Amino acid sequence: MSEDKTVLCVRDLTVGLDNDPAARILDGISFDLKSGEILGLIGEAGSGKTVLARALVKGLGAPLVTRSGAVHYKGADLLGLSERKLSKIRGKEIGYIGANPQGSLDPTIPVGNQIVEKLLSVSPGMSRKAATERALEVLAAVRIPSPEVRFHEYPFQFSGGMMQRVMIVDALVTNPAVLIADNITQPLDVTVAAQIIRLIRDLREQFSTAILFISSSLPVAETVADEVMVLQSGRIVEKATPTALVQNPQHDYTKSLLSRLPRIWGEGISGPEAADTRTLMTVEDVHRTYFVRKKGSFRGVNAVQAVRGVTLDIREGENIGIVGESGCGKSTLTRLLAWLESPQAGSIRFAGQDLSKLGAKDLTKLRQSFQLLLQDPYSSLPSRMPIGRIIAEPLLIHGLCKRSEIRGRVLAAMREVGLDPALENQLTVGLSAGQRQRINIARALVLEPRLMILDETLSALDQVEQSKLFEVFDRLQKTHGFTYIFISHDMALVRKVCHRVAVMYLGRIVEFADNNALFDNPAHPYSRALLSAVPTLDDHPFSSDEYLLEGEPPSPVHIPPGCSFRSRCPLAQEICGRVDPVAQVLPGGGSAMCHLVGQDAPARSLAAGK
Amino acid sequence: MYLLNFLIRRVLQGLVVLLIVSFAIFALLRVVPGDPARLIVGGMAPDEVVVQKAEELGLNDPIVVQYVRYLGDLARGDLGNSFFRPKSGATVGAAAYDDPSRNERAEVLDLILERIPLTLQLAGLSVVFALIISFPLGVAAGLNPGKWQDRLAFFSGSVFVSLPNFWLGIVLAQLFSIKLGILPSIGYKGFEYTILPAFVLAIGISPFIIRTLSVSIAQIMHEEFIAVAPLRGLKRPRIVVAHAIRNASIPLLNLFGIQLGILLGGVLVVELIFDYPGLGRLTINAVLQRDFPIIQGVAIFISAIFVFINIAVDLAASFIDPRLEY
Ligand code: SF4
Repeated sequence: MSEDKTVLCVRDLTVGLDNDPAARILDGISFDLKSGEILGLIGEAGSGKTVLARALVKGLGAPLVTRSGAVHYKGADLLGLSERKLSKIRGKEIGYIGANPQGSLDPTIPVGNQIVEKLLSVSPGMSRKAATERALEVLAAVRIPSPEVRFHEYPFQFSGGMMQRVMIVDALVTNPAVLIADNITQPLDVTVAAQIIRLIRDLREQFSTAILFISSSLPVAETVADEVMVLQSGRIVEKATPTALVQNPQHDYTKSLLSRLPRIWGEGISGPEAADTRTLMTVEDVHRTYFVRKKGSFRGVNAVQAVRGVTLDIREGENIGIVGESGCGKSTLTRLLAWLESPQAGSIRFAGQDLSKLGAKDLTKLRQSFQLLLQDPYSSLPSRMPIGRIIAEPLLIHGLCKRSEIRGRVLAAMREVGLDPALENQLTVGLSAGQRQRINIARALVLEPRLMILDETLSALDQVEQSKLFEVFDRLQKTHGFTYIFISHDMALVRKVCHRVAVMYLGRIVEFADNNALFDNPAHPYSRALLSAVPTLDDHPFSSDEYLLEGEPPSPVHIPPGCSFRSRCPLAQEICGRVDPVAQVLPGGGSAMCHLVGQDAPARSLAAGK
Repeated sequence: MYLLNFLIRRVLQGLVVLLIVSFAIFALLRVVPGDPARLIVGGMAPDEVVVQKAEELGLNDPIVVQYVRYLGDLARGDLGNSFFRPKSGATVGAAAYDDPSRNERAEVLDLILERIPLTLQLAGLSVVFALIISFPLGVAAGLNPGKWQDRLAFFSGSVFVSLPNFWLGIVLAQLFSIKLGILPSIGYKGFEYTILPAFVLAIGISPFIIRTLSVSIAQIMHEEFIAVAPLRGLKRPRIVVAHAIRNASIPLLNLFGIQLGILLGGVLVVELIFDYPGLGRLTINAVLQRDFPIIQGVAIFISAIFVFINIAVDLAASFIDPRLEY
């Protein structure tokens, strides 16, 4: 009986390059997809995931070519069909969703019209009215608020998560038998990604679609898939149920994947302990609001409250993590901390000196002590300058030492970050992202700073590079006593390296606590929601079903009165709508901005779901 | 509401531009050699007549006073009178200073209004021709980068760019008017007189359009939404027409707004070649004769056209792509 349920049957699919007969991007891929099943496929960057997703529907472009194999669907081999016959299936019976929701639709046409356009294209008999109704119906089914309004909006008016919902609608609107979801949660914030995953699970029941769920993250695939295949360099090396795969991996590659997964919770897992050292930087109640012209209006401006009263103390030699979803004000706070912008209210003191009170000369001097490293290692390096010169540049600008000493300091810095001194006279072309990031670090290092601000500095790198660079940071910290601020959305990284963690929401730090206190017993409902959404194989202390947030943060232009988290808070009470909570000191020494904190203990643990 | 705001803002900006342009022209014309009073009364007139004429025209007042007076007239729709052209027609430069016909000079506004439809007709038709020539070449090139279509577009663009318009005008006039006798080329007695000059102009501007189209289409074809469109179930012709060309039309519109100057410059030359009685010929004659009121009037008119077309271009672009704020 179960044989009958197979809808898509892939046999020996092999993809190569048209200019290289020996190349194998995909090598002998075979699997069956049954209706109502979610089949996971995981693989790292470059393993051929996206190529597979597109090869299944004959969507490969040069230089990729399908060498051999078949994709059977309803008795026909899709790969052998003419474009005309294929167009009756592709997009209609086989839906596709990619990893770039915001780029997947024409930016100049309202999303609704594009869904209707697609529907009319694959079902020529349909009337425009029927298509519109159908589109609205599915928009409502994926829980897009006020679908009639959003139907007429343009892709740029949607957030990443909402746009991914639109793309899900676009794929499901024809009621396809097969859905290919290619890494669809990858660009999204964790809480939003968790919502999308839950949506996919619900939709499977509603639409009884067979789903090929491709992901670069094993924990993500594990939460949705009935079975998971592991793709390594174009080959499927293992296929098993998620539980079997995690508990009893067969193939070496799967084992190494598992072992490389960062752990967040579990036995023997704890974050670095905070130490009470001297305070290096004090941030007191800083505010930053941007005024942007209202679209289409004559004089009106919107006040975007990016940072609204952040207070933070950073101790000598510690690692501070600042986490939060996109739009929470992390980047603005970063620019304030690096003094690239000054706050409109509040003060920042570094080593006892108020930065706003310093003259230009003293400021320049003090500035050497805190350095900002950015995420993008590509655009931040000049391409026509030899590496040694790039690193020497800050010394030349600041005129810090004698010319004769410069070379020695540059070479020393290169050695410290693990760059081969032989690279001194080469250009940056051809260097990996990790090497480039090392140049950036060396460039900051020659100034002998005390504080380094790392804005998603490691997030562009793969796991291996990441941990190598982290070793570099660690060594520098031990030898020079550096202090680091990690601005990151990667909770696993923060768990591993930060002593204390600040959680941001809508321009505020809603909780600031020691690593272990935050991860094991978060006080603020938002911290809990954020942690519960983190994909991990570890046993979550909080079940994601209980804490999963609905919706998205309100816009920083219209911040609701009272607690700004109220619109999404599962524990919101009457008082939350009236009174804006202030930071309360937590028993463990941290602080959180929530009315429930500081109430008697039973109420709190009730709130914590224990 | 948005639209109204936009229009008010842009028209105000446009007025500022017009003010600046008119003052610049006004000031420049006062510093070039040649005394307008002397020019008007003619070389033979005695000096008293010149002085009297200058007084009459207010040429002795400070330049700012003169300018404000000019603006006042302008606001009433009076662009002044030509120095030389009588109401009746032919210029009177050679007539004696006391010839009574000298006082009956043509109004600049009339002169311009009489010719501007012809110039607009010429410019409009040439844009139509240019689009007809460029679209197939540019779109095909954009869809097939590196292939023969691309090379064809590049080749034709290079050839078109290197054809001087006066030469092309003469060759085409020889071929179509003299040899084949199917199209007239000199003067203007009806619509068919616009075709040849418009074609010559079109050849001049199409390289820009071909290039912009092919580059932007090629770029758009690499966008994610084009790449996934077939997977979503859209068919190729639809993707190209409804999405690629639609998106490519925005750079094209912008090009049009920017390159308008080149088009108008071409119009002047081509009108001269074909003896086409439009704004261009009027201007060139006025420059040769130092007929300041006409030069000023034409300059203001052309700036107004510039401002107007740029507003229209931005409006059209923001209708196509709402991300562009107007
Ligand atoms: S103050 Fe109220 S709404 Fe805000 S986080 Fe606490 S419980 Fe939720």
